[in-house]
Amino acid sequence: MSEEASELARTTEHRLEELEKGLFTSDLSVNEFLLIKEVGFHPVGFVMGSSIYHTGIQTRKWGQSQELTKLTEAMYNARELAMTRMEEEAAELGADGVVGVRLDVNYYEWGKDAAEFIAVGTAVKAEDGVSRLNKLGKPFTSDLSGQDFWTLLQTGYMPQGLVMGTCVYHIAHRGIGQTLGTTGQNVELPNFTQALYEARELAMTRMQDEATQLGATGIVGVRLEEKTHQWGSHTIEFLSLGTAVSKTSDDITLAKPITIISLDN
Amino acid sequence: MTNPPAAKEPFNLKDEVRRAVASLEMKSTSTHSTTSDLSIDEELNLHSIGWEQVELVSGISVFSVPAGLWNWGQGEIAGASKAHAQAFNHAISRIHKEAADAGGHGVVGVHIERSVHPSHVEVSLLGTAVRPIGASPVKPEEVFVSDLSARDFALLMVAGWQPLGLACGASFVYAPRRQMSAVLQQSSQNIELTNFTEAMYSSRESAMERMQQMAIALKGTGVVQVNVVEGPMPFATHAVGFAAWGTVVRLAKESHQLMHPQMVVSLNDPTAVFDAATLA
Amino acid sequence: MTEQSGVPDVAEQRLSASSFSSGLSVSDFAACLDMGLEPVGLVQGFCAVRTTSSLNFGNGPAGFTRSTSPYQLSSGDYVENYQCPHGMVSGEHRMWGQNYQQPWIENTWRQGFTNAFTRMVKEANTIGAHGVVGVLDNVTRIGQEGVLEFSIRGTAVRVPKLPAPSSGPWTTYLAGQRLAKIIEAGYVPVSIVAAVSSVRVWASCITEYLMEGSGMTMWAQNSDSVEVEQIVSARMAARALVRNSVRAQLHGDQLHGVELNIREHEFAKGDLEIQPVLRGNRIRRFKDFDPLPAPRLTVRLS
Repeated sequence: MSEEASELARTTEHRLEELEKGLFTSDLSVNEFLLIKEVGFHPVGFVMGSSIYHTGIQTRKWGQSQELTKLTEAMYNARELAMTRMEEEAAELGADGVVGVRLDVNYYEWGKDAAEFIAVGTAVKAEDGVSRLNKLGKPFTSDLSGQDFWTLLQTGYMPQGLVMGTCVYHIAHRGIGQTLGTTGQNVELPNFTQALYEARELAMTRMQDEATQLGATGIVGVRLEEKTHQWGSHTIEFLSLGTAVSKTSDDITLAKPITIISLDN
Repeated sequence: MTNPPAAKEPFNLKDEVRRAVASLEMKSTSTHSTTSDLSIDEELNLHSIGWEQVELVSGISVFSVPAGLWNWGQGEIAGASKAHAQAFNHAISRIHKEAADAGGHGVVGVHIERSVHPSHVEVSLLGTAVRPIGASPVKPEEVFVSDLSARDFALLMVAGWQPLGLACGASFVYAPRRQMSAVLQQSSQNIELTNFTEAMYSSRESAMERMQQMAIALKGTGVVQVNVVEGPMPFATHAVGFAAWGTVVRLAKESHQLMHPQMVVSLNDPTAVFDAATLA
Repeated sequence: MTEQSGVPDVAEQRLSASSFSSGLSVSDFAACLDMGLEPVGLVQGFCAVRTTSSLNFGNGPAGFTRSTSPYQLSSGDYVENYQCPHGMVSGEHRMWGQNYQQPWIENTWRQGFTNAFTRMVKEANTIGAHGVVGVLDNVTRIGQEGVLEFSIRGTAVRVPKLPAPSSGPWTTYLAGQRLAKIIEAGYVPVSIVAAVSSVRVWASCITEYLMEGSGMTMWAQNSDSVEVEQIVSARMAARALVRNSVRAQLHGDQLHGVELNIREHEFAKGDLEIQPVLRGNRIRRFKDFDPLPAPRLTVRLS
């Protein structure tokens, strides 16, 4: 896998060389660009990683709720490939981190179960020359916008990495007998509740494990996304994402915010 | 015509409106018309850095592509990539000319519409030409074009940067068709489709490289607000395309001017909409 | 109702009622009162016209045969000829191509818009308004026969204790805060302005082949990408024409908040009708305005 990745990296080398000479590219807005400059970082390049991945098929038992480990693995590996390739591009540029990371899955007409997993963001480098690499010696990644990045740094925290956990879960169809038995009634369906509960817990736990590996003190901006992709309504991916952060400074100079009432609608 | 220094009395909107309406009874003395699609806020932002709008300007190009080009082949679909690049460049030089003819030094807030059809590529640019207040005209090749809003333009200038122009790169690549049959046999496995990944990478890298080349040619040190469109072509799914464009910038002052942002908390509540149908 | 004969009786009855009507949203209404503009009534004007533009027919371009400009174009009008370099090839070969302006369509459109606008202004005049704010205009196609209805409406306002205007009320698409900002910035609204241009493209053989994508292989001299000059030229001309037409209505004033809508109809490869419509607010500076301080960066915590 890493061999393939480095193969791909080779084609990008020339482009990255230009970026090392001082030209930067970024998908940051002007606001974000200025805010990142404000906290002492300079954008070095628009970086991306992608993987077109075929997810395997796993038989699901009609009446049983269970995790589909093979699909979980596929969704995780494909994203990890995309993220790793993006990080490699950033490392090549000598970046300290990547901000504004977006993870996306695109389905095209290439065939069933084939999807493009993509990670894009803007690599940034500290202007004071002090390394901001994370505990694993890699550039930090974060899905925070330029505005959130600036605000986070005002609070004395530093992003360590974009962490994620995923779980693909099959939720049991209900038997005919059960369905008839409750027709017309308003009742809780304990099996459903339990399955959904467990799947989300698994995704969150995996995300937290990643944060622990980075030695983070916490995760901000956690989002839980639920998607059925192309699997039909009873198979759901629970994806949990957030930016792991750790406290780097106790010296906080948080300015008192001004309150405003905006007059435009 | 210099007005006496503004009186210190507080601004009274009602009096201003009365004065404005009454002024219509007098004959207008102004002779120089301008057209602009900027909002009043954007215009005020421009004024705050000593710039003014001049004229709504546009640039267009349509380049033909042999329709059979998409069907088969290997590697890059060079004809399509080239047509895209040329269409973009021609549209840019036309908007340069319109802006320079109108006395503009640059064009801000440019709307970029681009579309790729089986047999042609279209690029259309529309924006407002601007200049430092009262400045004399420049040559078309000295005009800058930017998709940054007037507000972002003003903010960037205050921070010591200047926009130099638009850079765009696009690349279209054949994705291997053959692999799909091989894939179906492995359909129960998790596997990366490396050929497809490589096709996407190849188009992406060429496109980004071309955008960077344009930026370097404009003597820029950076490209901000890069937009990206990627994926298979809707009319030829075995061909993938990648296009990226953004505004090229350069530090114009000796150093970046820190902006010292102010944190603000909005006291506006989210607008509650009452829906009579659901009473919610 | 005869041509521009004034306000219909029913409208006069409506407007003479003692209560006012207003098309403004509550916040725009409040902002108007804040500016010292009293709403006096909702005013409107309509006009239906028939045009021969293919864009306004429902069932495609029935009856549009390929022809050079059927109109004696005057010297200022846009026309361009594209010659076929091949000579007689077959009966279907397009041995000529032409781009031409269609002033008759532009004139009908202008007439429709102007009539509707004038009628609205007359309504406003009868109730002694100084201006019409929050103007909305709309052009709808009626039926399949190329009939267009122009409708323009707005809210007439009055400045208390100011003599009635000598040359009719001013009009603007703006209302509420945005209108207040314009005036604060030293501008007074003069009028809404709208213009149209219409350009017909009959493709030459080269243009047709290029738009079909068969150009390079069969006819074009070099095998590289080729620009479709005829189409580009027509589109640039259509935009320039509409802008010039608007400029002719400005008389030294500024046009603000311009909106450009472009409609295009393609009959066959390369055969086009292009119709851009440009609308905006004509405004005039009535006092000098000191620039605001340069913009500041803020980060919103919400």
